[in-house]
Amino acid sequence: MYGAPGGGPTVYDPLTLPSDDNVNNYTFCVELKGSQWFLQKGKMIAYYGQMDFNGIGHGRLDRLVRTSFHSPLHASDWVVAEGSGKMLLADRAFDVNSYDLEDGNLTIRSGNLLAFQPTLSLKQSIVPGFLTLIGTGKFVAASNGPVVFMEPPIRVDPQALVGWADCPSPCHHYDHGYMTGLMGGLRAMTGVGGASGEEHQFEFVGAGTVLLQSSEALMAEQATGAVPQQAGVPGGGGGPTGPGQQAGAPRLPGQLGDLQRRFGL
Amino acid sequence: MLRVAIRVPLHPQDLSEEPYGRYLRCVAMFRLQGSKVLAVDMTGDAVKAKNGSMVAYDGQMDFKKLSGGGEGLRGMVTRRITGEQMTLMEVKGHGTCWFADRASEINLVALQGDKLYVESSNLLATDSGLRTGTSFTGMRGATQGNGLFTTTIEGHGQAAIMSDGPAVVLRVSRQYPLTVDPGAYIAHQGDLRQSFQSGVTFRTFMGEGGGEAFQIRFEGDGLVYVQPSERNTIAGEV
Amino acid sequence: MAFREINSKMVEATVLPGQRLFSQRGAMLAYRGEVSFTPNMQGGQGGVMSMIGRRVANEATPLMSVEGSGTVLFGHGGHHVQVINMTGDTLYVEADRLLAFEGTLEQGTMFMGSQGGVMGMVRGQVTGQGLFTTTLRGHGSVAVMAHGGVIQVPITPQRPVHVDPQAYVAHHGDVRNKLSTALGWRDMVGRGSGEAFQLELSGNGAVYVQASEEKL
Repeated sequence: MYGAPGGGPTVYDPLTLPSDDNVNNYTFCVELKGSQWFLQKGKMIAYYGQMDFNGIGHGRLDRLVRTSFHSPLHASDWVVAEGSGKMLLADRAFDVNSYDLEDGNLTIRSGNLLAFQPTLSLKQSIVPGFLTLIGTGKFVAASNGPVVFMEPPIRVDPQALVGWADCPSPCHHYDHGYMTGLMGGLRAMTGVGGASGEEHQFEFVGAGTVLLQSSEALMAEQATGAVPQQAGVPGGGGGPTGPGQQAGAPRLPGQLGDLQRRFGL
Repeated sequence: MLRVAIRVPLHPQDLSEEPYGRYLRCVAMFRLQGSKVLAVDMTGDAVKAKNGSMVAYDGQMDFKKLSGGGEGLRGMVTRRITGEQMTLMEVKGHGTCWFADRASEINLVALQGDKLYVESSNLLATDSGLRTGTSFTGMRGATQGNGLFTTTIEGHGQAAIMSDGPAVVLRVSRQYPLTVDPGAYIAHQGDLRQSFQSGVTFRTFMGEGGGEAFQIRFEGDGLVYVQPSERNTIAGEV
Repeated sequence: MAFREINSKMVEATVLPGQRLFSQRGAMLAYRGEVSFTPNMQGGQGGVMSMIGRRVANEATPLMSVEGSGTVLFGHGGHHVQVINMTGDTLYVEADRLLAFEGTLEQGTMFMGSQGGVMGMVRGQVTGQGLFTTTLRGHGSVAVMAHGGVIQVPITPQRPVHVDPQAYVAHHGDVRNKLSTALGWRDMVGRGSGEAFQLELSGNGAVYVQASEEKL
């Protein structure tokens, strides 16, 4: 057996790797014993044993998909891992952590969800760019920096939001205070002085937990897919989706261009 | 209800205000200051380090660019293809020199006459007692240009390799072969055979950024270093 | 009212009535209570002249002032945040790297060129930040961002420290700075500009160097 690199980092093998737990802050190890896990494509870094990775919607996984995966628009981003062995998951050197949901519900930004057990049901949230997990089971989430848990009432910068559990969906909070008065008028008209960048947050109230990360830059990738173009569906009623510049004029709540940008599409 | 099992984070990079805080290990004259900065104390000797990776030094230092890739025609071709990124420089002097590269995590490897294979762009520094060379593993690089070049290091001494996020070291034994995503592979040492495996199942990975169409299978007896990231190590990288 | 490190990428500050904080615009992650965020026209206490000075220098980092009563979480781009507590001396820091600081500190800008002549001007271009560096003096807490975290390297009269300008984050103390080229360093063509120069710091104090030769 080859020697360890002289007093350096821990050397792992299939027996010493943890089962369904973190190896370090950025790597998670899942143990499969003839079982299955859903995971995002490209997030498996290594495995011991015998494993198969199949895209969703391929024949014999239909039953599994029917019970656990209700997001046809995201299907292309996910695969099912099955087999026996130990598999390491990681995502762009982001912090990864596992969480247990006990008959609960959690809504999480799609780009932050890495993997979950099929006992949980994945649905597409009515909030564009987010997925909702319902039921009992374990899931693994990635974040830029460790996730910080806070309880409502709290207002959160949209880009810092990872997700929320149990409490009601957030509402928008617009800070128009600084817009009033002479300076406010000046800013509105000339754009001089600019915006603080903090004019809009998500406001959470109620009992539950809000998950935050330090990220003013959205975790890119993960095409969330377009929502059905139907009346009544947020984000689906049309409207420009271009990344709007922060103009001097205040945006009215509900204006879709802003919503879509804020929700991370 | 959301129940959370929180791991108490052990962040070696949470640095205190104390100057010259020495952390973790002290290996020969290579030492880590935090997990992302390599400090090398030199008293007239030299180290080879990745071009552009020096962030600070005190005392008296001289820097010399080395022609990487090797001698002759093969060396020229290697240099042309690998570009500036792969170039090593030699640093010699008296004092302390600090190296870092894009906040990558650093791992120290002590070699005792054996050979270490490292993705060329993941090598930060080696001390002068080690010989470096290049080996082509062309097949592996076929699809994404990833892993075309591997740097070999052998001899007796210290090498510092880096990764995007702390590396995990996995042991390969006859009983337990290992399959690795090429974007996560950093380095390996020991008596290992590499083969490339792709299966029907992996076809479903194609067309999506961040997923390789094939995996590397290691068999034999040795160690493999992987990083918690699928960052392309050559072609797609900065 | 110091900054409390929540984790390596986030700090929390308690805002009390009558006390003021400044932060980079867009750096607020979440808050509780009644807190207002106002873009700061003058860029702090430097007055109108200071603002103009910044415009001339093409400084892109606008600040906002944070007032009210509550707690605020600050962070930006997932960058590593380092808290430096000032006890009377002066901190010199690149404005781009300032995440937030207490209003008790006196702000100013320093024309780095004054200590290095022509080379100073070049260095301004090299650090990509313009000609001005922000100075903070007094007692208070400063939260600074860096790529990958920082190490602190002491500067003593016997041992001046040479730093890659791209890796320079901040320094404090009675320190002279000089931009110079080193024989051989010019051969070190690295990524981006600035590799041909090194920043030489001498005197008494310490320099904060980040674990990356890339600017934020």
